[in-house]
Amino acid sequence: MSPPDSSVTNSGSASSSSSSCAGKPPDHIDNLLAGAGYRVRSSDLRQVAQRLERLETVMVNAPSDLSSHLANDAVHYNPSDLASWVDSLLSELNPPPPAHADLPDFPDLSYADRTVDNTSAWVGEERRHVAAAQQGGIFPPPLTTTTVVMDEDSGIRLVHMLMTCAELVQRGEFSLAGALIDEMQLLLARVNSGCGIGKVAGYFVDALSRRLFTPQTAGLISSAHENEILYHHFYEACPYLKFAHFTANQAILEAFDGHECVHVIDFNLMHGLQWPALIQALALRPGGPPLLRLTGIGPPSPDGRDSLREVGVRLAELARSVNVRFAFGGVAASRLEDVKPWMLQVGPKEAVAVNSIMQLHRLLGSDPTRGSPINTVLGWIRNLNPKIVTVVEQEANHNQPEFLDRFTEALHYYSTMFDSLETYLSHPNKAFAEMYIQREICNVLCCDGLARVERHEPLAKWRVRLGGAGFRPLHLGSNAFKQASMLLTLFSAEGYCVEENEGCLTLGWHSRPLIAASAWQAVPEPSPPLNLISHRNQNNL
Amino acid sequence: MEYFLVGDGVGQFGKFGRGKGVETEERFVATCLGVGRTQLSLIIMAGSNEINVNECKKVVPLNTWILISNFKLSYNMLRHPDGTFNRDLNEFLDRKVTANKIPVDGVYSFDVVDRATSLLNRVYLPSPDNSSQSGVVDLETPLSTTQIVPVIIFFHGGSFVHSSANSAIYDTFCRRLVTHCKAVVVSVNYRRAPEHRYPCAYDDGWTALRWVHSRPCFQSGKDSKAYVYLAGDSSGGNIAHHVAVRAAESGVEVLGNILLHPFFGGQERTQSEMKLDRKYFVTIEDRDWYWRAYLPEGEDRDHPACNPFGPRRDKSIDGLCFPKSLVCVAGLDLLQDWQLGYAEGLKKAGHDVKLLFLEKATIGFYFLPNNEHFYCLMEQINNFVNCSSSS
Repeated sequence: MSPPDSSVTNSGSASSSSSSCAGKPPDHIDNLLAGAGYRVRSSDLRQVAQRLERLETVMVNAPSDLSSHLANDAVHYNPSDLASWVDSLLSELNPPPPAHADLPDFPDLSYADRTVDNTSAWVGEERRHVAAAQQGGIFPPPLTTTTVVMDEDSGIRLVHMLMTCAELVQRGEFSLAGALIDEMQLLLARVNSGCGIGKVAGYFVDALSRRLFTPQTAGLISSAHENEILYHHFYEACPYLKFAHFTANQAILEAFDGHECVHVIDFNLMHGLQWPALIQALALRPGGPPLLRLTGIGPPSPDGRDSLREVGVRLAELARSVNVRFAFGGVAASRLEDVKPWMLQVGPKEAVAVNSIMQLHRLLGSDPTRGSPINTVLGWIRNLNPKIVTVVEQEANHNQPEFLDRFTEALHYYSTMFDSLETYLSHPNKAFAEMYIQREICNVLCCDGLARVERHEPLAKWRVRLGGAGFRPLHLGSNAFKQASMLLTLFSAEGYCVEENEGCLTLGWHSRPLIAASAWQAVPEPSPPLNLISHRNQNNL
Repeated sequence: MEYFLVGDGVGQFGKFGRGKGVETEERFVATCLGVGRTQLSLIIMAGSNEINVNECKKVVPLNTWILISNFKLSYNMLRHPDGTFNRDLNEFLDRKVTANKIPVDGVYSFDVVDRATSLLNRVYLPSPDNSSQSGVVDLETPLSTTQIVPVIIFFHGGSFVHSSANSAIYDTFCRRLVTHCKAVVVSVNYRRAPEHRYPCAYDDGWTALRWVHSRPCFQSGKDSKAYVYLAGDSSGGNIAHHVAVRAAESGVEVLGNILLHPFFGGQERTQSEMKLDRKYFVTIEDRDWYWRAYLPEGEDRDHPACNPFGPRRDKSIDGLCFPKSLVCVAGLDLLQDWQLGYAEGLKKAGHDVKLLFLEKATIGFYFLPNNEHFYCLMEQINNFVNCSSSS
């Protein structure tokens, strides 16, 4: 895990008394470097250049095993923050501090000045990244697509019709929409709906149909038991959940380093699929395993069974078999916002990890009578002072107020996801995995108000939200990236792609990220006297 | 800045700018001699010929220096002496961006994946009124039925090993190409070395060319066809050349090639390589490493992929209907002798070549639009793809 940034990040500083999520405007970031994917403050350019030069000198002069250490063993974090990245490499190489004479100053370059002064003179300046940089990340996330080459004209017709139908639904023209649905169902019968665009279109036509004709049952409500089965199939059929568990476990393991009493709070236990790997990793920890407590949150079981406890018992047996002292607690709650922190029974000396795999977005539905569930929950998470909060969320913008926007985004997102499943032609879990996805689609498109729980928001928004709630990022590094990539090689499909995104990792299909994993830590409460801001120490290497 | 346009024939050149050394003059004269049937236009930006160690900081803007030095240092870490490559760390460090159907500064993009080959192309289109697209990607409707809209198939650089079509630097560059040239750009995510050696990159380029010709959405003009140009920087320029050769042999139309300091080489060590080694971000040693990674194992740099006009040239392009070429050479690029030799080779084979020699430019000058070379290049490309007459 990377050390906390030594410089203050401007989004969501805890010292702000404002309840707004908007960060303070950051220092001016060089917008041309931003277009290349790097965030460097204009005022830092000279210093970064000097450090780069220093790094080159050190690398050239370093013995070859140090250089190869940099490449192979050192862990890299957040390459977008170029200044920190260079500094971390310099620290790895641990050179003696230079005398001032060693750092040649950069001459004043006429071009550098010209860039700042005469930007209007140059044609076609990009504002996308400037907007992102200067508004602290509050801007509409891009509507991204990955499109598959369509072999049939009818596939394109279907998509056009779907979009038209969605627009009609938004405008309230239900009879026209209904007629279009009938037409689409006829067209579906002629298209190959076993794969590709035909299959996705089928699900979307179905969702629209449910929304129009059977709104009461549109949400495909199923029992918790059914949900668990579908979840399990989805877990087996594709790497998204495995990536989520794997990446979160890596981060949790690192956060627990050096602690003897650790407590994991899982916001959605299900069958506890995430935890055997962590238990085994803790068992193999140098110095021996800690005492591990696991608190699993899940819906109450209807028929008198205590399914949470059953999972706990199985995990306890596993822990015993590898000599890890283990204690389990179950918290039954139908909704996450019903959980009260005292139910978790967190002990004072424990290192706490809060683990949320695709749960936080369910708290985004707002109800005027109940306040803001997300803020409530984030608040008590923070009060637990966890060592780490692992958050995995769908990388999609499915919580937009306008139906048509949600529809369009969902069409692209789930097309990509179905496409990634295509490669498992005859995987036994595939059909059930698709049903799992179908339930999500129906919730996004057919439900509203409290019933709509699949309120996915993209990483950029979660960054602002978590920052505003008093959390700062713990960056996932190149070691986590490498291991996630290795995990993917277990899947034959060549299209899954892990990417680094400013300290977070995403897993996607080809160039479209579908799921984002991030880790967080509570920003310590400010204490008087007010000496909050630590500027970057210029003499530090 | 001063431009000097030279027509055909010896002795027609005008006055040079100040501070030019003998060497530049010699090279200039050499390229002017024997122009023959083909007009060779030479445009030079005057500047100092002085080259010193550590001068590279003085010839590029600060943020450009940071960007390219960052690449240099991280790439140094990724290449292992035994020829292996740290692919994971490379992908981790590479800054990538997603496509965006919402127009930004008049350009929007989307990705297309060929299910059969997993080959990804990112398509960039102009959206003059910045209006939001319907969300549907339409691959069937032509760009225009009245006007001609050039389609530039772009192969990103990275010495066959680094970068992707969705790398931030190339995504941004392609957007600028659309803006400056009012063209559609298709960026090809070709397979890279060392995992995929020659001829994979050329095969992927060829596939992309055929794909562009096959889709109505790239057609324009009254005769409804795709007006296709090939372009690339560094290894991308090399790919553009070889794809153009295959196109010419197969009768597939390419209207022009745009090569931005293309990656060529050979066994010989040229003067520019020896003089500029290690001085402007690039070293002979790293160039050699990339050829060993890309060329078939055991091959040397006189392999025709690397040295198309060298001792082992196996194809004669003299008789082929090869497209006109715009070859841009950076005067501080150690490979310039190979690139100038390439232009010479094309010319000798009877093909139309326009040489854009930017004397004070380093490699990668076009990543950031903070220097006059960038704008000169964009103007030249715009003229190249939009003027119906060859200049």
